[in-house]
Amino acid sequence: MVGLSVGEKHFIQGGIAQDLRSDGRKRLTYRHIQVETGVIPQADGSARVKMGATDVIGSVKAELGKPNPLQPDKGKVSLYVDCSPTAAPMFEGRGGEELSTELSATLQRCLLGGKNGAGAGIDLSSLSIVEGKVCWDLYIDCLVVSSDGNLLDALGAAIKAALSNTGIPKVQVAAAVSSDGQPEVDVSDEEFLQFDTSGVPVIVTLTKVGRHYIVDATSEEESQMSSAVSVSINREGRICGLTKRGGAGLDPSIVLDMISVAKHVSEQLINKLDSEIAAAEACEEESGHG
Amino acid sequence: MEYVSPEGLRLDGRRPMEMRQLRAEIGAVAKADGSAVFEMGNTKVIAAVYGPREVQNRSQQMNDQALVRCEYSMANFSTGDRRRKPKGDRRSTEISLVIRQSMEACILTHLMPRSQIDIFVQVLQADGGTRSACINAATLALADAGIPMRDLVTSCSAGYLNTTPLLDLNYVEDSAGGPDVTVGILSKLDNVTLLQMDAKLPMDTFENVMQLAIEGCKAVANYIREVLQENTKQLEYRRGV
Repeated sequence: MVGLSVGEKHFIQGGIAQDLRSDGRKRLTYRHIQVETGVIPQADGSARVKMGATDVIGSVKAELGKPNPLQPDKGKVSLYVDCSPTAAPMFEGRGGEELSTELSATLQRCLLGGKNGAGAGIDLSSLSIVEGKVCWDLYIDCLVVSSDGNLLDALGAAIKAALSNTGIPKVQVAAAVSSDGQPEVDVSDEEFLQFDTSGVPVIVTLTKVGRHYIVDATSEEESQMSSAVSVSINREGRICGLTKRGGAGLDPSIVLDMISVAKHVSEQLINKLDSEIAAAEACEEESGHG
Repeated sequence: MEYVSPEGLRLDGRRPMEMRQLRAEIGAVAKADGSAVFEMGNTKVIAAVYGPREVQNRSQQMNDQALVRCEYSMANFSTGDRRRKPKGDRRSTEISLVIRQSMEACILTHLMPRSQIDIFVQVLQADGGTRSACINAATLALADAGIPMRDLVTSCSAGYLNTTPLLDLNYVEDSAGGPDVTVGILSKLDNVTLLQMDAKLPMDTFENVMQLAIEGCKAVANYIREVLQENTKQLEYRRGV
């Protein structure tokens, strides 16, 4: 928990009101984002994202599975977040479970669309192999290693980076169907398909402190928030999911205003993230060959 | 199966008495009082230390010494096949206890009565020897947190396969069914704080294997000392001393 004195609280609130936050940023400026890909060799794709002192790891594993009978032409994606006790002593034992569940649920809402998979940020139909028989199951596991606010945006960025780092093996489907109706598939261990992440949205969280709202709040700033709105927006500027957290009520017009601001911020964030991911991939390739 | 080839090479190309590549980094978790990453080959763990601080649970407070607590957790993606394990299963509880006892042996707990020190270790990649890697990471993190210690505790494992003592087993060698001796020592005092072995082994062979593991611990201790000295130099440099 963040322990702040009355003076410190006033300082943070006053700074936000004057558009100069305690670390020198403006209200709508992100901290520097640092991306590292391929950090977990056992996974099919992984990335580590650092924003200031916030540090998260995302990993993707692909397994062959059976599609849901209700959506035979789509693959499945499951998403879990774990809060490591290294991030804060309060996550010890079962202490991190509540936050983990909240983050997982919000990310699922932001990236995976509705129950029927419509409007998902991740293209589920590209995971289908044989309709109704075989598909890819993607397991996305995230770990919060260090936490200094704005976990949701960092996790969203880590998932996007991990997915663009993911190579899904090419699959050959044998023409003849075996007796039990299950087609025989041959998974290549040399050829990989790059996962298309151009449609994967980024998450922008606007935290309302006093009368103003800020992006990328640190944990000190988060402790002063009245409410926060997380919007996931893709490259076309479409909203893929939305969550409001925090107790205080918001005027509907403010919510709409926040969404339009989030949309504006997301354009910069997507460009920044894409260039960081490209740089990380290039760096990984260089060290891999060298 | 053949774990040591006739040329005397192991499955990953090491010699029997060769350790995996060590890599350590101090200060991996910005918000913790002390933290470190420790890698032994493909095994990678993060340790974070919080404290000494006020005791959270008053009934556990001790008036003559500090309370040391430890929690070990494994990330879902750390093993080859993905598994979602519940927190606090028996294996993690046992390893938490082992790490806590080894660390308690070296921390000068009597200097910090009525306080609490939390050690959290998180396994990012598991490829055999997680126990040892966790202890080594915890030692570094405690040193980074500036907690008074008697000595550095370091740990290393050794095994015995194809009638050859092997240092620092990886996952494949560990699951081969042979004995796995994990030793933790206080490097300067030359005291053994941790000793575990599964499977059976003749007395004289055990002596050799244990001696090999102790040599491994000493090599780890040398490396950790180098890392700490380098870190102190950096701190001095930044201060402008």
